[in-house]
Amino acid sequence: MAGSLVRPATPVRPHSAPEPSRPRGLRHRLVGTRRARIGLLNVSPIVLYLLVLFVFPIVGTLLLSLKNADGSLTLHWYAEALSGANLSVLFTTLRISAETSLLSLAVGFVLANALSRLRPIWAGLVMLIVVVPHFISALVRTYGWIILLGDHGLANQTLTGLKIPGAPFRMLYNETGVVIGTTAVMLPYTVLLLYGVMRGVDRRLLAAAASMGAGRVRIFVRIYLPLVASGLASAGLLSFILCLGYYITPALMGGTKQTMVASLINDQVMKQDQWNGAAAQGVVLLLITFAGLLLLKAARSIGAGARKRSAS
Amino acid sequence: MPDLHIADPAPAMTTAAAQTSPTGKALSIVGLHKTYGSAVAVDSASMEIAAGEFVTFLGPSGSGKTTTLMMVAGFVEPDSGTVTVGGRDVTRLAPQKRGFGFVFQQYLLFPHMTVYENLAFPLQLRGVAKSEIRRRVHEALEMAGMAGFAGRRPRELSGGQQQRVALCRALIYRPPVILMDEPLGALDKKLRDQLQVEIKAIQRELGLTVIYVTHDQEEALVLSDRIAVMRDGGIDQFDTPRELFERPRTPFVADFLGAANFLPGRVMKGDDDVTLVRLDHGGLLTARPHPIRPGQPVQAAVQPGRLRVCAPDQGFCTGTVETVTYVGTLVRTGVRLAEDTPLLRLEVPAGRAPVTGERVGLTADAEDINVFPADADG
Repeated sequence: MAGSLVRPATPVRPHSAPEPSRPRGLRHRLVGTRRARIGLLNVSPIVLYLLVLFVFPIVGTLLLSLKNADGSLTLHWYAEALSGANLSVLFTTLRISAETSLLSLAVGFVLANALSRLRPIWAGLVMLIVVVPHFISALVRTYGWIILLGDHGLANQTLTGLKIPGAPFRMLYNETGVVIGTTAVMLPYTVLLLYGVMRGVDRRLLAAAASMGAGRVRIFVRIYLPLVASGLASAGLLSFILCLGYYITPALMGGTKQTMVASLINDQVMKQDQWNGAAAQGVVLLLITFAGLLLLKAARSIGAGARKRSAS
Repeated sequence: MPDLHIADPAPAMTTAAAQTSPTGKALSIVGLHKTYGSAVAVDSASMEIAAGEFVTFLGPSGSGKTTTLMMVAGFVEPDSGTVTVGGRDVTRLAPQKRGFGFVFQQYLLFPHMTVYENLAFPLQLRGVAKSEIRRRVHEALEMAGMAGFAGRRPRELSGGQQQRVALCRALIYRPPVILMDEPLGALDKKLRDQLQVEIKAIQRELGLTVIYVTHDQEEALVLSDRIAVMRDGGIDQFDTPRELFERPRTPFVADFLGAANFLPGRVMKGDDDVTLVRLDHGGLLTARPHPIRPGQPVQAAVQPGRLRVCAPDQGFCTGTVETVTYVGTLVRTGVRLAEDTPLLRLEVPAGRAPVTGERVGLTADAEDINVFPADADG
């Protein structure tokens, strides 16, 4: 239950009917003609679907988060969600999400960039290797990481074998472990998104830049990066949002200091039967997600505006 | 920089074009060779290009013209041979270190930059001061008739406008050599004609060294000081348009540029002034002098515009008019000499056009007829 509350949601509005230009004709337009009736019939499944699985749970959660035990309205749960230990959990969640998103962007960029230079057939094969883990249960994958990253796991054995100073490292039940784990989960999304954008870049543009004297670094910074920037932003934001509400990996690979909001919500519902507080925290996550989307949109339009001004 | 006026068609020019000292540099290619697997793409191409000269690589697709251009640009590494610019060997230099300008058929403007930024980019790479960049970009846009478009994105421009900007972008940093790979290939005929005139005017005005690739022979004739006609990776002939037209060195050149008619025959006798040929389907024909032994089978090449109609049995051959097509002031006429011979093409002034089914004689001036050995390919 808690999971569905914090799922990232794209704001989809059901278009049940065309906007009426004259209010007088609204009723006629909606049901009056045969065409309109068939159209209404066609959109009804999606409207129903969205109402039941999207609008209803969100409105329900919102109401839950605003109600006292006696049924009166209150902001008490929000005050609680944004103070004390809960607030620091929220900050931890934001921090880990940011770290994960940056790391998966960095690794994803290198991977996708290499992929986009392969011949399509090889790229498809390698892409399969990147994506297949995604179809394995997150639980199984997380245990796999725990085995790999343990004090006597393969990673540490290799590092000690190579006589790396400081090895073995502690890579489990701390932030390092959580970020490695969540990054592995987010990577397929990042790579898929970036790969699509990078394939779309016309390589001859880079040749054109070279022909007028640009070196590799300049071509990368001035031509390639701007052309894939939108993809980078989307991929980064996507993994950030997915990570915000992510539960399994942080719960299993983190310590008490890496408790994330999703774990907290789970605890409240499962252990304390505290649905109102859980709902408030879910709504806070949802709002942060929306804020992120708005921020991205604003950044894009500001960027476009700045470029336009610099030209005149 | 002078403003761009639509120049009158260039008078027949010999080599190095510019009246003033050219800004372009001389370029020489020696034995450029490139194979892909067992296929020879370019077969030891060599040529000397003077500073300020407009040279075109002309040939059908697969003739190696683009590969040669790419080797000059540095995008393709030759198996052997050298490219020298202004006396400096650049064969092993990366494209960005050669400092050439390159205009692509697909324009390749940077989509995330405005027109202004596209033009400023090569100048920024060269560390030009901001105020100077502003001045030069606006000057270039002015010259191209694109003054109001500085703030536009490439996708907001038409194909012709995009190619104008692309041309400006290649010119703006004053490269010693400008390479153009079918830059007008994606544009419609009218726009192409207009841009040809503009390109030629700028090239002459600034004394630019240009290497231009096209498969359109008319375009090559309009633009070039000299044309290298390419076929199967080799250069058949590298000459002025006039020489190529009037003295083709191979049947291929005669056919590709002049769309010549070929008349089979046998050499009767030849001296320093003329060659006498006995045609297989006709009488005696006098052609330009050629070092061919008497008795050897040959083909005589005559362009459609140089063949004239006369009374039957008055010319060097006689045939029947099969097709008559009006194309403005000229009439395209097809004449067949005998049952299984190819149709001969003529272009005659509209007033003197024969009618279908008429028996006509054909004649031409000796200096308009070139003779090639019959086994010469092409």
